[in-house]
Amino acid sequence: MVGFYIDAIAAIILFGVGLYGVTSKSDFLKIFFSLEMLLNAVILFLASAAYHFGLTRGLAIAYVIIVIATLEAAAGVLIFILANRITGEIIPDHLDKAVSDE
Amino acid sequence: MSVLILVLAIILAVMSLTQKNTVPAVIAFVLMMFLLGIYYIFMGEKLLGLFQIFVYTGGIVVLTLFGVTVIGSKFPKYEIRPWAVSIVTLVIIGLLIVPFLLPDIPYEGKAIPLKDQVKIFTDFYAEIAIFMGVVAASILYGSIRMLHTLKHGKE
Repeated sequence: MVGFYIDAIAAIILFGVGLYGVTSKSDFLKIFFSLEMLLNAVILFLASAAYHFGLTRGLAIAYVIIVIATLEAAAGVLIFILANRITGEIIPDHLDKAVSDE
Repeated sequence: MSVLILVLAIILAVMSLTQKNTVPAVIAFVLMMFLLGIYYIFMGEKLLGLFQIFVYTGGIVVLTLFGVTVIGSKFPKYEIRPWAVSIVTLVIIGLLIVPFLLPDIPYEGKAIPLKDQVKIFTDFYAEIAIFMGVVAASILYGSIRMLHTLKHGKE
């Protein structure tokens, strides 16, 4: 039971780090890292629940999350390159500004 | 051992966001994902651990390295948003309080029977319909937004 709480607290801290990255960082690569951290925090929690309580359905969701993270990475890099082509930068705020200027 | 791996993973996660150069940030990110994969293997979830290592330290990091070739060796300067810290602090405190408010878990140390586990996408087709609706709506919104951006970018 203590092991589950340790994993849960680690997952919550990882989630917090990822949330801080998403809300405070302004370039695409760090936002991308942060999103992966958010997803990994959830996977860690589900894996821990599966290990300590035999919650096998949580593991199935963890696999789905990994697949979604892969798709999200591919889409993220596409948006990243497109933003770089339009604005010459990798800052999402400036992408919006470049569109509104035109 | 498990605590050490988790603490190292969290330190590497913080490092990957605070580095000013791109390559050390990517290396910290890779090591964090690798450590989490090793941790899953220690927990007995071998397939999940191997999946984690193959997908994250293999596929996703190659994509981020491709991004690094676009950015260069240094991250651009950005404006710091001070309200982010307060939001994150509130969320973390909220999430940390929740486990201690829950009553004792009845299945401590033994597997929960399948009939008592949370059922997702198994009983009601409406759940699948709602899920697919949300996915379709987000893809549609993203496509429209992207087309709009492309149109204004080309003009």
